[in-house]
Amino acid sequence: MVFDYLASGLVFSSIIVLGSIGLSLIYSIADFANFAHGDTMTVGAYAAFVTFGAVGGLGGAVLGLPYGFFVALLAGIAVAAVVAIVTEKVVYEGMNAGSIELLITSIGIAFIYRAIIQIGFGADFTRYQIQSLRPIEALLPYGVRVTVHDVAIVASAAVLVGGLHVLLQYTDLGRKMRAMADNPDLARISGIRTDRIKLWTWILGAGLAGSGGVFLGLYNQLSPRMGFNLLLLIFAAVILGGIGSVYGAMLGGFLIGMINQLTPVLSDIRLLTDMGALLPLVPDSFGITIGIEYANAIAFVIMVAVLLVRPNGIAGEAV
Amino acid sequence: MRVVSDPRGYWADLTGAERAVVAFIVGFAALLVVGLLTGALAPTYFLYLVGIAGMYSLLSFGLNSQWGFTGLINFSVAAFFGIGAYGTALMSASSSPIAGGFVPVVGLLVALVVAALLALAIGIPTLRLRADYLAIASLGLAEVVRLVVLNERQWTNGSAGVRGIPQFFEGWPVLATLPQTMPGLVVRPLPGTEIVLETPFWSALLNVVVVLGFVGGSYAILRRAHRSPWGRVLRTIRSDEDLARALGKNTYGFKMQSFVLGSLIMALAGVFYAHLNLFVSPGDLDPVTTFYVWVAVILGGSGSNRGALFGGFVIVAIREGTRFLSGISSFVVDLGVVALEFDLSWLTSNVAPLRLLLIGALIVLLMRYRPQGVLPPQRELIWPSVVDRAPGTLDSGVRDVQAGETDE
Repeated sequence: MVFDYLASGLVFSSIIVLGSIGLSLIYSIADFANFAHGDTMTVGAYAAFVTFGAVGGLGGAVLGLPYGFFVALLAGIAVAAVVAIVTEKVVYEGMNAGSIELLITSIGIAFIYRAIIQIGFGADFTRYQIQSLRPIEALLPYGVRVTVHDVAIVASAAVLVGGLHVLLQYTDLGRKMRAMADNPDLARISGIRTDRIKLWTWILGAGLAGSGGVFLGLYNQLSPRMGFNLLLLIFAAVILGGIGSVYGAMLGGFLIGMINQLTPVLSDIRLLTDMGALLPLVPDSFGITIGIEYANAIAFVIMVAVLLVRPNGIAGEAV
Repeated sequence: MRVVSDPRGYWADLTGAERAVVAFIVGFAALLVVGLLTGALAPTYFLYLVGIAGMYSLLSFGLNSQWGFTGLINFSVAAFFGIGAYGTALMSASSSPIAGGFVPVVGLLVALVVAALLALAIGIPTLRLRADYLAIASLGLAEVVRLVVLNERQWTNGSAGVRGIPQFFEGWPVLATLPQTMPGLVVRPLPGTEIVLETPFWSALLNVVVVLGFVGGSYAILRRAHRSPWGRVLRTIRSDEDLARALGKNTYGFKMQSFVLGSLIMALAGVFYAHLNLFVSPGDLDPVTTFYVWVAVILGGSGSNRGALFGGFVIVAIREGTRFLSGISSFVVDLGVVALEFDLSWLTSNVAPLRLLLIGALIVLLMRYRPQGVLPPQRELIWPSVVDRAPGTLDSGVRDVQAGETDE
């Protein structure tokens, strides 16, 4: 069983990582907590949904996914990036506001994205028109139930994250972005055109979020709330990893995804359930069973604990 | 007072925004009166609207005393509202899985105690954090509260909610049975219209009395607190926490007081809601309630109690007004020569996303173009007597600031 949880943890982590890298980049370079990031994922997912409807049966298939799906993935990434750029240009750029005002504005933006999607597609759940697959036979004896689609998600996420790593470490843009994340003022007086770097950050962050949304839609299903529901997990991941650190976001996303999917293990621990039996003067049935319905709650509690003990996260500098 | 004795002077003293608000309120009230007189608006529904508006105003007061006074970003308004509603519901409802059957006043006290404890439990770890961390953490903790309410069936009935909540005055000597004993009245305000006022009307009237009591009490306390030395410290913390600390103030303690105070007022709104709606469910803890209240506070003007009151009423206008849109399926523009018909059913068939869009657009537009809100608190921070005692020749200073500058 534990292997199965670990495997689905890996798949879920891939999605969380894609979301949290973007959030972390925007947090450090645009300098505010972007509450619209989850809904940017939803935008990507629905853009892919529309594209896939148009080009669905294109060509052959890789890892159980038709070529058309990868076209849809690219469309999802592109639309999420374009939407983010338009939002930055129209709303955020002209505002002479602090990080808190931007944070509140981003909530409005999140609602606008979600409302438009809901007006266009309704509030119900939908799916990509892709046959769902049976778990891979070879892994079943080990109790691991993953489909080829899950493998595709992890592989694609690895490619995207690897690409970002190369970009950050070996290209001019990546060096400038790191410089700006480190110290925006110093970056500016060093002659880096920070406005342009900021735009690129939005493109990269929202693009990754869009891809995360597409994979989330493939992993579960699509709904207008899908991204918002994931947002707090992504925040937990970013804070756990350390705000401003892309590699911290990867680590935090990995850990939060794993913890989230490993929650069922907790319900096997009887301590909290039977607290009443252990404590005098308390009814026997007293206690909270930590089942999978509390998977998100555990992530938030971890997040608050991290904020208390080490506000800069794992990869951030110690205070 | 002054409005009655010197209406002209009162009007001349108002800023442009205040005049617009007064005109809006007068116009809106006139519209409602016309609706009432012609029978288009049922009196009971009207009282229900007043009750809901009072409830939102309470929530806005609560948030205003956290965000507007002290600058604490609290995204767990819905959680405190829900704690208030569930606190009193679980104590007084007949279907309550734990206690049940107590008089609502006991429920009120329990709800307030639980809300204060929750505020401490959320505040102790998070109030030391940076503002944006507090925002994220409080949203997360509100979600934890919602999940607990949703899933701990043995305490809260889970997704089925709690039914059988009594009216607020249940168990009181006269008021409990007042709606039943009041005679039915038939009012004919205009020839041809007839309005019947019976038991539901009187009980709705009692609810309005309750909420007006809560709102009035909170307003009086907050107004006094905001101008007091205590409120002055809070405002200092809001604009520069380091300064407040440098002046020797225990900023953490002040933030905690402000946080608990606001949370109690939010729980009070929840208590009222439970006894108005007579049913509570985990859906009442949905985060979108939190953002409705945020819109009300930002719209009214952060830090301004009058603004919070105004914002609460506007939110109800948005929420209930969009209901009427669902009846409109097409929109015809008659140009004389041709009549253009716009099909709006795709937009109005489902008002929930439309409402979300309105709220989102309102947040963005406000933050973009008028972050200080419609009624910024410039005048509220000053004791009126100070202004009146100021020399008449004062041509710069307070009165100027009222008209022009909008900084707090």
